[in-house]
Amino acid sequence: MNEHSLGEFEELVLLLVAAHNQEAYGVMILELLEQKLERKLNISAVHVALKRMEKKGFVESSYGGITNERGGRRKKYYSITSLGKKVLDQQYQVRTSIYKQIPNLSFGQ
Amino acid sequence: MNTQPPKRALKFLRWFCREDYLEEFEGDLIELFEKQYESSPAKAKLKFFWGVLRCFRPSFIRSFKIFKNSNTFFMFKTHYKIAWRNLRRQPFFTMLNTLGLSVGMAGALLIGLYIHYELSYDKMFADADRIYRANIDNRTSGERSIYASVSGPLANVLREDFPHAEMVTRFQHIDGMLIKSAEAEENVKEEKMVAVDETFFAMFGIPLLSGNEATALKEKNSIVLTEEAAQKHFAPNEALGKELVLNNDETYLVTGVIEKLPSNSFLANHSAFISLSSLDGADSPAWNNWNFPTFVKLSSSDREPDLQSFLSGVTENYLVPWAMQFVPGLTLENWREQQEISGNYLSFNAIALTDIHLHSPNMKGEFNLNGDLKDIYILSFIGSFLLLLACVNFMNLATAKSLKRSKEVGIRKTLGSKRGNLISQFLTESSLVVFLSMLVALMLVGLVLPHFNQFSGKQIVMPWGSLTFWLLMMVCTLVLGIVAGSYPALMLSRFSPLKSLRNASEGSAENGRIRNSLVVFQFIISVFLIASTLVVYEQLKYIQNKDLGFEKEQVLVLNNVDALKEKSKTLKGEVLRISAVKNVSVSSFLPTPSDRNGATFFKKEDMSPESAIIIGNWRVDHDYIETLGLELLAGRSFDKRLATDSSAIILNESAVKLLGLTPEQAIGLELTDDFKRPDQENMRLITVIGVIKNFHFESMRNSIDAMSLKLGSDAQRMMVKFAPSDFNESIARIERLWDELAPGQPFEYYFMDDAFSSVYEAENKLGRIFMLFTILSVIVACLGLFGLAAFNAEKRAKEIGIRKVLGAGVLHLTSSLTLDFLKLVGLAILVSLPLAGYFMNLWLNDFSYRVSIPWWIYLVSALLAIGISIVTVSFQSAKAAMSNPVNALKSG
Repeated sequence: MNEHSLGEFEELVLLLVAAHNQEAYGVMILELLEQKLERKLNISAVHVALKRMEKKGFVESSYGGITNERGGRRKKYYSITSLGKKVLDQQYQVRTSIYKQIPNLSFGQ
Repeated sequence: MNTQPPKRALKFLRWFCREDYLEEFEGDLIELFEKQYESSPAKAKLKFFWGVLRCFRPSFIRSFKIFKNSNTFFMFKTHYKIAWRNLRRQPFFTMLNTLGLSVGMAGALLIGLYIHYELSYDKMFADADRIYRANIDNRTSGERSIYASVSGPLANVLREDFPHAEMVTRFQHIDGMLIKSAEAEENVKEEKMVAVDETFFAMFGIPLLSGNEATALKEKNSIVLTEEAAQKHFAPNEALGKELVLNNDETYLVTGVIEKLPSNSFLANHSAFISLSSLDGADSPAWNNWNFPTFVKLSSSDREPDLQSFLSGVTENYLVPWAMQFVPGLTLENWREQQEISGNYLSFNAIALTDIHLHSPNMKGEFNLNGDLKDIYILSFIGSFLLLLACVNFMNLATAKSLKRSKEVGIRKTLGSKRGNLISQFLTESSLVVFLSMLVALMLVGLVLPHFNQFSGKQIVMPWGSLTFWLLMMVCTLVLGIVAGSYPALMLSRFSPLKSLRNASEGSAENGRIRNSLVVFQFIISVFLIASTLVVYEQLKYIQNKDLGFEKEQVLVLNNVDALKEKSKTLKGEVLRISAVKNVSVSSFLPTPSDRNGATFFKKEDMSPESAIIIGNWRVDHDYIETLGLELLAGRSFDKRLATDSSAIILNESAVKLLGLTPEQAIGLELTDDFKRPDQENMRLITVIGVIKNFHFESMRNSIDAMSLKLGSDAQRMMVKFAPSDFNESIARIERLWDELAPGQPFEYYFMDDAFSSVYEAENKLGRIFMLFTILSVIVACLGLFGLAAFNAEKRAKEIGIRKVLGAGVLHLTSSLTLDFLKLVGLAILVSLPLAGYFMNLWLNDFSYRVSIPWWIYLVSALLAIGISIVTVSFQSAKAAMSNPVNALKSG
């Protein structure tokens, strides 16, 4: 395992953080993921992914202001770091380069 | 917002969650809660709880202060760390320790599972604690027999006259039957069948998968099958309401399907239950027909004494009054008088359902073979010994290592370690080893269990899912860790720092003595087990090779010959024409397990009840004696040319002895079994025409019962005696004949000597179990010895080096090192062999026919023990003796 490893679920979360840089927070990521994946997830799965990536230095976080929502708790917004972006790019490159090697397959019935 | 998330969950979250994560998680969870709350408050709460629980994971838990600053916790952590280091520094000793312990634990665990299984018999039935079975204890003509089945009318008597009987269920034993569905051609044999009345399901709380519990066994010709048996004939779930033909004769309606009965119940292996009303004579008022196992459920188990006293009155209150109808002049008074004079008795009693398997002897008419409580005791002894052996090993190796550790102890003490700290350090170490061994042991047992089941004939499952099991394992680990670790811990922690640092080995002489006595103890047990195993096998060999009085070799037995009906004579004639066949006989009664039948006989001239003899009465054909090679002591065999032989009888030696005659005197004696007839002049008489030598037809645990042979035609089995030859070809020919004469009937055969060995299945199993655990204990003992030898060689490395320099030879050194241990083993042998002799004699006394323990068994066990220890020790000794003395002398 190299230390820049990125799990499948982590990658999805990281993509969403990148797409909604500075605005992404736990519940939002959860809802977007549920929408895209069309299945129910638990918030703690998202938390685990976010905290792991924070530790690895792929994302960083900052608190927002106090609002009336959420019983007065601040939101924690996530943004992608340059390392995170690099890992994401790498991952994307590897995938597309292999994907391009797939010959033109046809699956006629 | 007036909606509040569940307070308790929130409190829990705040308690465990890391502070830097808390606000974020709390916020997210509350936001989700609020969103969900609008659509469904209940669901929202549930989800909140779940969310909190999912957060409860190591990476999100804050570090607790109590742990962080607690000295105890730190101490435990260091103990644990140092224990690991110590174990890893000496991989050889750790391995020996773990291996020895885990083999011992695996053996003990296996035994534990076996015993648990044996003890669990019949406890799964609902109300098992208040179900009892009636038995008959009977003594006639000096012969005592106990029956697990009783007279038919007893059930009604209990129902009507015994107020505490909540329910009574009556069985009747029937032979296994051939079964086919109405449309099918092919028959399937169900080996274990029984007839039972309709209260069966309510009595034992057996649920029906399909069918009506109350009525399933009410009507005549109803049959209830286990799922397994039903699927031999019908598609799954389609059996109910279908028709089956039994023994090619009667049609039965499938009225219910039940699950397979538990293998640890008295009904194990029974696959088909027919309604008792289907059988003739089920409602007969006769008290002399003891074919009905009868179970009664009491209103409460406190009523057992009432049941016993009621049953003890049954003979006088019901049986004798019934007998008065047939025996002229019989009154209660003269019945009592006769019983007193002759010492005969007939009494009813009861046994608790859960006591049947282990706490009762094998009675006549049991459903399955019972276990023996003695085996359980023997096994628990072996199991505890194994554990003890393993612990002893551990102690031995630990004290042996103590020299190496004494410096460590000294330094620790100098630096301020208290004795308690040292003890907990050593206990942590031993618990760690025990824990590792437990894991290995569990794996071993998991691997071995299927094979163990195969050879012990049980169906034990590993209770992986049981919480109690795991708790027990944990408690065992702790206890064993403390037991095995206590002695070394106490001993090592006692070292005075001054002496141990000055390199004086403290108390090593005392330690040596203790180590030596532990080795002796281990070998006492091992030699005991070796000798016992040899005796068990010797007895088995004796039983299986003893002259039985009949020839069991080259006898083929065909089953279900009665399916051929009158064509069985044709088959017999055809089979006789095969050149390799010497003789053929048709009978239901074989010397190996088969039908048994008893009858009461009187001498013609003496019809008084006290001179009645009850003897086995086997119905056979003319060729029986020749086919089995039975030896005639007097008189002759049945003769086809004499029509009068239909009322002739042949007795065995025991029967003649029972009559008080010699074989020669018995010839021509006239007996009768027709005593119920009122007109005594026309009584049917039977003449003794021959006396045969006793032959064994029961297990050798029992002496040979009195029995007789009589001509009869109801015959299920055909015995075919071959001349010594390759008879595979002949068997194939018999099968072709069978298929011609009985198309669709299964061709089932076995060899008589195989059936004979199955009689001694219990002894065989015991032998195999003994063997297994003997090997295990020897392995454990050897591992201990091996470790000690290695330690010893290491300790004396310098001495060996000096001796070598001064000119001692390798052989001489090796033998002197080995001899030290052999002395111990020799002492163990001296103690162990008399013990083994004593206990094995006790075991052998159970057999009517037994070996006396031959002297060579002692010699062989002693030699085996010595041989094994020489092999174990000399390897280490030789290694030490051959090492270069320079290395030993240079260091330190």
